[in-house]
Amino acid sequence: MFEKILFATTGTPTCDHAAHVAFDLKKKYHSELTLFHSMGMPSRGFSQFVKDSRTGEEEYLDNDYADWVKEELKTYYAKQLAEAEGVLFETTAGESHREILRAARKTDADLIVMGAHSRDEEAGATRYRNVVGSTMQRVAKGAKCPVLIVSRPCTTCLWYFSNIIFGTDFSKASYSAFLFAYQLAKAIGAKLHLFHALDMSSIHAGKAVSQDEIEREIAEARERIEKTYVAKMEDYDNYEVEVWEGVPYVEILKFARERNGDLIVMAHHTREVDPEEAVLGSTVEQVVLRAACPVASVNRPDKVS
Amino acid sequence: MPEGKLCNKQTVDTEEQLQALLNDKSGKQYYEEMNHLDVDAKALWATIQKTLKSRLRTWLEICAHCGMCSDSCFFYMANKKDPTQVPSYKIQSTLGELVRRKGHVDNAFMQMVMDTAWSKCTCCNRCGMYCPFGIDMGVMFSYLRGLCFTQGFVPWELKIGSGMHRIYRAQMNVTTEDWVDTCEWMAEEYEEDWPGLTIPVDKQDADIIYTVNAREPKHYPEDLAEAAILFHLAGENWTVPSEGWEETSLAMFAGDWAACKMQVESVYDAMERLNPKRMVVTECGHAYRATVVEGPYWTGRKDGQTPIPSFHYVEWVAEALRTGKIKIDPAKKIKEPVTYQDSCNYIRNAGLKDVAREIMGYIAEDFREMKPNKEHNFCCGGGGGLNGIGRYREQRNIGLKVKRDQILATGANLVIAPCHNCWDAIRDLEEEFEIGIRWSFLKPLLIHMAIVPDHLKPEE
Amino acid sequence: MYAFVTGPLAWLSFTVFIVGIIARIIWYFRGLSWQLDRVAYKEHMAYGIKGAIRSIVFWLIPFGTHSWRFYPFFTICVFTFHIGLLFTPLFIFGHNVLLQERWGFSLWAMPEGMADFMTVAVIIAVLFIILRRNALPEVRILTTPYDYLVLAIAVAPFVTGLLAHHQIGNYNFWLIAHILAGEIFLVAIPLTKLSHFIGFFLSRAQLGMDYGIKRGGMKSKGLAW
Ligand code: HEM
Ligand code: SF4
Ligand code: SF4
Repeated sequence: MFEKILFATTGTPTCDHAAHVAFDLKKKYHSELTLFHSMGMPSRGFSQFVKDSRTGEEEYLDNDYADWVKEELKTYYAKQLAEAEGVLFETTAGESHREILRAARKTDADLIVMGAHSRDEEAGATRYRNVVGSTMQRVAKGAKCPVLIVSRPCTTCLWYFSNIIFGTDFSKASYSAFLFAYQLAKAIGAKLHLFHALDMSSIHAGKAVSQDEIEREIAEARERIEKTYVAKMEDYDNYEVEVWEGVPYVEILKFARERNGDLIVMAHHTREVDPEEAVLGSTVEQVVLRAACPVASVNRPDKVS
Repeated sequence: MPEGKLCNKQTVDTEEQLQALLNDKSGKQYYEEMNHLDVDAKALWATIQKTLKSRLRTWLEICAHCGMCSDSCFFYMANKKDPTQVPSYKIQSTLGELVRRKGHVDNAFMQMVMDTAWSKCTCCNRCGMYCPFGIDMGVMFSYLRGLCFTQGFVPWELKIGSGMHRIYRAQMNVTTEDWVDTCEWMAEEYEEDWPGLTIPVDKQDADIIYTVNAREPKHYPEDLAEAAILFHLAGENWTVPSEGWEETSLAMFAGDWAACKMQVESVYDAMERLNPKRMVVTECGHAYRATVVEGPYWTGRKDGQTPIPSFHYVEWVAEALRTGKIKIDPAKKIKEPVTYQDSCNYIRNAGLKDVAREIMGYIAEDFREMKPNKEHNFCCGGGGGLNGIGRYREQRNIGLKVKRDQILATGANLVIAPCHNCWDAIRDLEEEFEIGIRWSFLKPLLIHMAIVPDHLKPEE
Repeated sequence: MYAFVTGPLAWLSFTVFIVGIIARIIWYFRGLSWQLDRVAYKEHMAYGIKGAIRSIVFWLIPFGTHSWRFYPFFTICVFTFHIGLLFTPLFIFGHNVLLQERWGFSLWAMPEGMADFMTVAVIIAVLFIILRRNALPEVRILTTPYDYLVLAIAVAPFVTGLLAHHQIGNYNFWLIAHILAGEIFLVAIPLTKLSHFIGFFLSRAQLGMDYGIKRGGMKSKGLAW
């Protein structure tokens, strides 16, 4: 599952923790690692100028500049590169999320690793197309492979992870996320926590709900988890099923904290929040920004089944 | 006769030439070489004699020097009514002088002509509507650009641009494979949300052949996906051609008429090859101007028409809304104040003003007209290729002030700009002046507002 | 002298005027090229004619276009000037007497007071036009001595006519000066930028066809001039 890894980096400290994980994985699984950097956004209409994504300066896009950017990246990651062999480099100009997705498609990556390219940092990026939503959110939405977002220091190596939290809303995309979580848990021998939060904010908006009804729904959800996921796990028994109620992203964060989660796996639910309306972004984004551990977003079956 | 390695009278027809130009950072060497470029006065005069016919000669001759064109030009307004920005002055001191001197001009003069033709005029054709004699400086500057091009006096980016068209039949280095692959990619990426979504390539006898601006596949392919979604919602039988998909023409901005012809021929070939009923082009103004309005003449089509009836995207949108192919959820109509940027190329110069209003009627609750508007609207500030020319960045930014003030006066938060150039200029305007507006093409707004019929919704 | 300027010279100037105008028209039409101008004149004649008529008519109406409305002061000057320029010579009493004498027909003749009024109006309009030329930087930059010369040629028949008619100074001198000025004016029309006499119609028609055929006329009700 980690044969080809695309590490999408801004080449700044934001991505340091992600870099750590990406190089670690490469070493452990002998993955083919491509270091990808989107240099900047083309400015000036059709011309060859880009606004450098790190410096904010206008730069002229030619081979020299591309080489220079690659050199910069090599210097920045000199320490890691010294211990890794055959790391590939890719740079292009364009909107980050689009170019990351393009590169992932081109390299047929089965995992994208990235930092939490935050909104603030990419104010310019948002402005470029005047579209709402961070790079991370858009990559998570469009990617065919799992996207591992690392925004906090991750001291344990991935293969020593002991608690993987899988949060589901029973969508089709969630099934892909489940497959990833399950395969990973099995591969590294971690405990898989299958978790669902009853969404109290939307389902019962305005209605007073009786405790009984909540109990009933919780029981239903548990059953559903058993049927949809547990039934597929064959003989793997290192798991737990848990259903809470509340605002989903808050609950999953609380749950992960309580269980000492090393990784949260969930789907990026494309339709649940309209990026135009969501001031704070999607659930994935909320979780990424607040979780103490890495988050993997899996939206499609292509690279997990 | 000294000719530069990069800056010369030759056209760019090979990848090596193109790469050499591209590698010349910011056109430094190119413009340096331009200082030594000879003017071939004989050839220049011969061209003028062959092509400067009664229409243009009369214009040059009968200008009453009345100055009624002055306030029509946004450059004049933006430059605090600088008299040297009066359209008549600009053309008389360049083309007028060139003709008076029978082409015997020097390098410095030609550079002045180039600077004027590209940085003081966007060929928006607004002045022609304000001159009592119908003297259209936009038309004359476009002609003048053609003369400059034959002499090698052309801004570096546009030399590259015309070369791109010559080599790739696209304004950017997007090959046929890149394009077809992008179509596949977008269909793949969006089909989860839109079951059954496809981007059919080279389908015969479709109702609609859809063509684009190369920047879409190159930098924001979402736009292509969005077009596909809307066609899908409307239930259209459509296709894109694998070749001849690019409608834009930097060659037109450059004055490279031969390249213009090559470019539009590729599109017409696609029309003939695939036999669709009609053509729809993306939200781009100059693309429509080049391929639908001017193109037939470049290729010598006597009736001035494209091989099949051709439509700008706004025409298709208006039709889809009118006929109910796409239905707007009334609750999702745009509620905030919104204005519409009338593009010179398809409003003033192609008569689509009412279509634009019709669309706004369907989608906006608080539509505010700019003043002036419709065919009298000012150029966005970035037309005629100006957005992309580094040498004239400063002039361009000054010119943006007129549009800024027009937008501010409407009180709108959102500017709908169904034209790539306008869209770019308004984005840059926001970057430059930070007036707190947003801007958008129609497609994303429509997808957001459209009622999705149940059978097109993804199942969960 | 009188006989000469009203005889051979008059014939000559009328001939130059008429032949010149016809030559201009022919030259203009022959110089139109559907491919160079990029307008399919012949193929879509109906749209073209519609566009041409709109383009001319709106511009002949005072305040009939956005541009005329944008410059109200100048518009009044131009229309006063032009109406005087065209109608006074045709309908002035003295000219019609001449017509009757020589060719045995005459047009409606305006009352004397009106003729005087029109003449003075033309002269005042020209004064304002000259003032404007100097006052506004955007017009000053365009102005050449040639513009003044042409204006002088245009207004000279009016000044001299006025002086002659009211017998201010030497009548005979001013009469001959008036006739000469008129003849110079006639000759100047085809030969100088006064050719906009006909050029206006040709050029407007062409742009009207351009808009009527190519630039939107076939997809809209027509440009709002
Ligand atoms: C019918 C449409 C016409 C229009 C719209 C038109 C318009 C103009 C304008 C705008 C001027 C410039 C005034 C200035 O700033 O100097 C002008 C000048 C003049 N026009 Fe016309 N004109 C027309 C027809 C004619 C005709 C039929 C004549 C007849 C002889 C004429 C004779 C003149 C003269 C003598 C001048 C002043 C010289 C000059 O500045 O060129 N015009 N006209
Ligand atoms: S408005 Fe027309 S006639 Fe007057 S100065 Fe401008 S181009 Fe010349
Ligand atoms: S075409 Fe537009 S930019 Fe050019 S001179 Fe006329 S008004 Fe100004």
